[in-house]
Amino acid sequence: MLKKFSESIAKNDYYKAWLKDAWPYLTGAILLSVFQIVTIAVTGNPWGVSAVLANWGAWIFEAVGGSVDKWYYFSSSAARETLANGPLRDPGTMRNLGIAAGALFSALIASGFKVKKLKSWRQVIAAVIGGLLMGYGARIGFGCNIGALYSGIASLSLSGWVYGVFMFFGAIVGSRLLVKYFM
Amino acid sequence: MKEEMLDCLGEACPVPLVKAQKALEKLDAGDILIVQIDHSCAMKNVPEWAREAGHNVEIEEVDDGEWEVVIEKVK
Repeated sequence: MLKKFSESIAKNDYYKAWLKDAWPYLTGAILLSVFQIVTIAVTGNPWGVSAVLANWGAWIFEAVGGSVDKWYYFSSSAARETLANGPLRDPGTMRNLGIAAGALFSALIASGFKVKKLKSWRQVIAAVIGGLLMGYGARIGFGCNIGALYSGIASLSLSGWVYGVFMFFGAIVGSRLLVKYFM
Repeated sequence: MKEEMLDCLGEACPVPLVKAQKALEKLDAGDILIVQIDHSCAMKNVPEWAREAGHNVEIEEVDDGEWEVVIEKVK
């Protein structure tokens, strides 16, 4: 009976349009804009993703006995307050967890969830190196493509546009490397 | 009439798209290229590119999160 039920849902037009198929880019753009306004109104800070990851790192480091008290990056009073409040009282942590949970839910409800196999070790190495470079760049540039680019442009800051121009050049180099080593 | 399989399982964007473009270049009109993908964003850009280029495209859902994009080269 459950099988019959899920088969009838799979044929439903509303299920297909709302939950199964990807939404148009325009719909996504409008929703992202609306929710980043909600974010800045509710939390008082623009939307960011990767700065939260640095805080997670600090909390983990402190949990295993380390201390970031003397680190320049965490020396501002705002950063100290966030760290002192802990992850459960950090809006950014909740938002990042929400993004992961929402992405999982949308993949599950579209029956698109799959544990993927590793294609090659080269892929793994590239992902690790790429991740380290992105993390380092995001912190030294005071933001990733969300905090510095998206939220920067959304708050009419020139820095967001500068970020965008140089990210474009970086993407050209990146795609050349991708075609050279992964095709 | 040739039919070619292109295994892009486990590959992330934009690798499936670039591989499909290169593979289709080598085929003749009337040949069929089947791209196997399991990356949902490739599910958007591979068919989009193929349709824009004027080819016939059909998508088959093989399994949860796994698709075959069947492209018939038109010209």
